[in-house]
Amino acid sequence: MSDRNDFISRTKFMEELMRYKKGSVSRRHFLGVTGLGLATSVLGATLSRQAMAQANIGDRVVIASWPNYHDPADFESFKAATGAAVDLNVFGSNEEMLAKLQAGGTGWDVFVPTNYTITTYVELGLIEPLDMSKIPNYDANAFDPRFAGPGTVDGKIYAVSKDWGTTGMATNTANNNSKAVTSWKEFWDITQGAFSGRTTVHDYQLTTIGNALKYFGYSFNSVDPKELADAEKLLLDVKPHLFAITSDYQPAMRNGDAWLAMCWTGDGKQLNRDMPEIEYTLGKEGGEIWSDFYAVPIGAPHRDAAYALINYLLDPAINMKETLFHGQPVADARVNAMLTPERLADPILYPAAELLNALEFGAAETLTNPDRAELMARFKSA
Amino acid sequence: MFPATAWFVAMLVLPLIVVFVFSFGERGPAGGYVPAFSFANFLNLGARWAAFKNTMVLAPIGTIACLFIAYPLAYFLAVRASAKWQTMLLILVIVPFWTSILIRSYAWIFLLGGKGLPNVFAALGLGHIQLINTPFAVLVGIVYGYLPLMVFPIYVSLERLDKRLLEAASDLGAPPLNTFLSVTLPLSMPGVATGCMLVFILLMGEFLIPAMLGGGKVFFVGNALVDLFVQSRNWAFGSAVAVALVLVMLVTVTAYMRFTRRWSGGRDDISLM
Amino acid sequence: MAEQNDPIAELRNTSKHYGKVIAADNVSLTIQRGEFLSFLGPSGCGKTTALRMLAGFEVPTSGDVLLDGQRVNDLPPYRRPINMVFQHYALFPHLTVFDNIAYGLRQQRPRLQKAEIARAVDKALDTVRLPGYGTRRIYEMSGGQQQRVALARAIVNEPKLLLLDEPMAALDKKLRRDMQIELQTLQRQLGITFVLVTHDQEEALSMSDRICVMQGGKIVQIGSPRALYDSPNTRYVADFVGKTNFFAGVVTASGDSCQIRVVGLNHTANAPRSLVIGQTASLCLRPEQITLQRNATPADRISVPVTIAARIFLGEHTEYLVKNTDLGEFLVLVPRQAEAVEGAFEPGQAAHASWRDGVGLILGND
Repeated sequence: MSDRNDFISRTKFMEELMRYKKGSVSRRHFLGVTGLGLATSVLGATLSRQAMAQANIGDRVVIASWPNYHDPADFESFKAATGAAVDLNVFGSNEEMLAKLQAGGTGWDVFVPTNYTITTYVELGLIEPLDMSKIPNYDANAFDPRFAGPGTVDGKIYAVSKDWGTTGMATNTANNNSKAVTSWKEFWDITQGAFSGRTTVHDYQLTTIGNALKYFGYSFNSVDPKELADAEKLLLDVKPHLFAITSDYQPAMRNGDAWLAMCWTGDGKQLNRDMPEIEYTLGKEGGEIWSDFYAVPIGAPHRDAAYALINYLLDPAINMKETLFHGQPVADARVNAMLTPERLADPILYPAAELLNALEFGAAETLTNPDRAELMARFKSA
Repeated sequence: MFPATAWFVAMLVLPLIVVFVFSFGERGPAGGYVPAFSFANFLNLGARWAAFKNTMVLAPIGTIACLFIAYPLAYFLAVRASAKWQTMLLILVIVPFWTSILIRSYAWIFLLGGKGLPNVFAALGLGHIQLINTPFAVLVGIVYGYLPLMVFPIYVSLERLDKRLLEAASDLGAPPLNTFLSVTLPLSMPGVATGCMLVFILLMGEFLIPAMLGGGKVFFVGNALVDLFVQSRNWAFGSAVAVALVLVMLVTVTAYMRFTRRWSGGRDDISLM
Repeated sequence: MAEQNDPIAELRNTSKHYGKVIAADNVSLTIQRGEFLSFLGPSGCGKTTALRMLAGFEVPTSGDVLLDGQRVNDLPPYRRPINMVFQHYALFPHLTVFDNIAYGLRQQRPRLQKAEIARAVDKALDTVRLPGYGTRRIYEMSGGQQQRVALARAIVNEPKLLLLDEPMAALDKKLRRDMQIELQTLQRQLGITFVLVTHDQEEALSMSDRICVMQGGKIVQIGSPRALYDSPNTRYVADFVGKTNFFAGVVTASGDSCQIRVVGLNHTANAPRSLVIGQTASLCLRPEQITLQRNATPADRISVPVTIAARIFLGEHTEYLVKNTDLGEFLVLVPRQAEAVEGAFEPGQAAHASWRDGVGLILGND
């Protein structure tokens, strides 16, 4: 866990904060010791005075996000700075988040949707256009428009970029003569052969159906009935050979039960860091590239705290700690400027251009398409 | 009278009415529910046949497996254990019930996973045996999770059993096995019937254990419902599946009660629920 | 009456300990074939333990249980040709009357034929005067009927010993009376050896050939009801069997003609156990050994002046509680004919209580 060496404990932070308040240490010392000063020293950006100034934002903020996606230390430091405790709810799919918001009464202040879902949220009137004056840490020019762009709908910013990544596969190469699987064709074929009973796929229609479509060279986002029928046949053939249909595949990969997993960047990075024999690769036919966002649901009960939290997490210094923790790349050039060249050259986070170019962003239609939902249900219940 | 009725309506009838009404509706364009009147959802139930089949096979097997493990346990607790041990063992049976089944399932994920029991089997030269993510693993989880629900009613009926009846049987020449079969077992049937009913009804709606220990490959009606409401947000079809599940359950439970009543020869000293 | 010395069962120096509690203490007893024997005593005296050792529910800590001369200590209850009528009957609630009675027959190996079982059950139902009740449910039967079913369930097996554990405790007085007579008749009719446990001395006295009085896990006296009544060995037995007045005194002569001085008066009476001159003891007089007159009595009787404290009309007899300044309160039983001569006494009236010297017993205060 060397990635986590650069932050200090909560108690230490509080001690330093108290010393700073009493005037016994300089502001520079305080920011330097706590790690909050990286932004000021490297990029000259100032800390948001609002966040630090104990503005009355309440004592609580609720965020709906994904597993292994935030450094708990950053939530602790947010609480220390603002007095608002962060209540984290973890979800496994965009569909689940949408279902909760549609049903109403979530109590969420912030949530983390994926690029292709944002237009649907806007159409359904579930998220508010962001008041950018409350997020001074967001500098539109610093963000790669490829990843930040889907947050803007009809010229209005509804969501700001958190990070981005890809959906590929993780191979335990120890079981395959040190070779990683490198295409979706190989992925589905080896599962029905040498890797029978050793492969996991996501419990998530977008990627599981999308990557089955790639076997035939179809678009990852296809809703064409004939193409979907081919994908379904493949999935039903493969099913008896699967180890599991799950989005929580790290435990099975780590203890050796599974040898091959449909995998997201962050998980691939975490697995590879701890077990170098597990390699993360992209399918050469393509697959998914995605970016995640922060958005505020209409009627967020702690709206001020929501903006304060988003702003805090987008502070380049904090965002850098986040990316080192979750292992996904971020779209903010200010953060990348702080990262080591080795990190920026990591092929798991930053794949080669020809691989990256073959990837597709998820399409909004897949989220609501009933045929894909039913196909997934038939696959799971078969 | 009025508050009780209102309570019943609010807590039991109202949700059922909502589900019933929704089952004739349609899915909204982005999911959810749009009012309509159509039987399309019911005609489409065949699409979840596999889920119903899995549930109707594994729920009874799970119930019976639970019974076969719970009965000796309850018997030991009620008849054999000394008073001091009895309390302690009862607490041991309840304690796991206090923690979430989610957490307890993780323990089984480890035990049945490659580093757990299969590892031991491999060391014994039995080769690679897959346990996790199989119907067997789901059954283990079910038995483990539902055991207290089966143990307690049986324990209570055995505890209440007049021990002098056992002496009477022995006095009349019945060896221990005969005494058990002709006195203990029939008189504990109310507990057995209650336990089976409790476990079976709850199993019919189970989704967590198949999801956790079945690796998403063992699919119950409960999982179909979770997916329909939480993933594809097809509330209308989800409601139709729920209505069908309630109907299947009603039929099964009625048949079961008929059967146990006939089996017990219409005795009214043995209540069935 | 049982024939002498044809033992069917025997407890030989048997003791039963539960930890430090001694429930049966070196009990020795021979049960004769065909007799009606009762264990009598208060609760905790060991009578139930003795019965349960015979049935096989308890294994003696030491000593032996013999049945037909064979040691059966280790034989479980279901292998002993002994049946029991339980205190609360212990009928099987899930079986019909017929199935309850047939239970024992169905355990027999080789198996009995169905018709044979049905015949035996019907006969047993006739014997306990419940013909045609076979299809009834247990909870449909009254307490008295349940008692008969329990009896039928036991006798249908034709056991060598029939054990009855307080079988009438749950019945009302009238029913108990009827049942006592019925049981006695049944016992004669069937010729089965009955062993009854009871704390009701009247029940024991009215039904038994022999009574075994127990106290503190030990047998204090065994004998016919008459023997126990007329010559109790100890004050405990005298007190437990029938009613007795005890007058405390000091022994003045021992041997064949034992004497006791009670408040200045010398009495002569038998002493079943040897006494020492000078020791304290009691003169025991049964209420019917004392008479009541209005005037002082002839000189051959011992007479004391009394006042009538209470009168209890018992039909055939009247029981008077009388009071003497020296002797305190005691009971006098006056037969109806005597009362007809003397006329009834009213509470508060003065009278003379008298008895013949030589009646009663002198018993040590053990």
